[in-house]
Amino acid sequence: MPNRPDDEFMERIASEVELTRPQVAPSRLKAKVYSALMLRQAESGPLMSLTETHACGHKLCVFEELVRIAPVGEAAKSLNICRVCHARVLAEQIENAPIYWPGCPYVVLKNS
Amino acid sequence: MNRLGQQDVHQLQMISSPPEEDASLIAAVLRKDRKATAEFVALYADDLYRYLRSRLAPMYDQVDDLVHEVFLAAWESLPGYQGTGPLRAWVMGIARHKVEDYYRARLRAPESIEDGDQEPVALASTSDFHQLMELDELRRNTWRVMGGLPEQYRMVLIWRYWEKASAREMALKTGKTEKAIERLLARARAEFRERWNHAQPS
Repeated sequence: MPNRPDDEFMERIASEVELTRPQVAPSRLKAKVYSALMLRQAESGPLMSLTETHACGHKLCVFEELVRIAPVGEAAKSLNICRVCHARVLAEQIENAPIYWPGCPYVVLKNS
Repeated sequence: MNRLGQQDVHQLQMISSPPEEDASLIAAVLRKDRKATAEFVALYADDLYRYLRSRLAPMYDQVDDLVHEVFLAAWESLPGYQGTGPLRAWVMGIARHKVEDYYRARLRAPESIEDGDQEPVALASTSDFHQLMELDELRRNTWRVMGGLPEQYRMVLIWRYWEKASAREMALKTGKTEKAIERLLARARAEFRERWNHAQPS
């Protein structure tokens, strides 16, 4: 049986004190999580192509836009091109990395 | 499944996005829309991070790994999401299970704290502690005392009093007997209370 006075003491503290401090996730963590998700998604087949992504109304970053308009097949436009982008490296390594390209998912995550 | 505290559930209901927005986001993520996936991370990373930090405190070095695990588990499970509740609550439910897995693994490890049979003696009444300190001080003291407790004590207290798990539930999930969990809780409470009393200004 619980030792009642201490049990009640803990109940009251738990009801008064939330252990969460107001905090946001580090931007580096968000970037790494996003990269991990993209890797996992790419493992099971191509990503949504940049053509379709654009058609869905999403803004593409300058590098994605270049790939989208390039005369290459849809397969190439479905690759995870962020893997070779320096913005990803910066975002994963530096808190609030100096990246500002509109449409870049890592910039979106940094500003979230 | 998503057995968060009542206050947590209420807060989630207040801040959750409409079901149609959830459905739209899920559909886009499942189609491997990279922008929707970024939005998914942006929407839930802060909540998950705060929740996991609070439940693992002060073992903060584990938090990032668990955030990763929750998102990857969510991605794996997303095709099975029924849409019967808010997506945010569903994601937080996955986090809660990850925390339980973590507690379970840690508590299954050989116990380093002496497993005595004696029930600690009841300490002084708490009826007037509200008058003795302001809420800020209460918070500070709680964090300080929790931060100084042995890990097993801290975890069982959080699991029992903040996560509202019963001793029976904890016993089932850790493979220990209910009696052993009760004894561990009693020692943890006594240790908490002793440190708490020492932490008070004289």
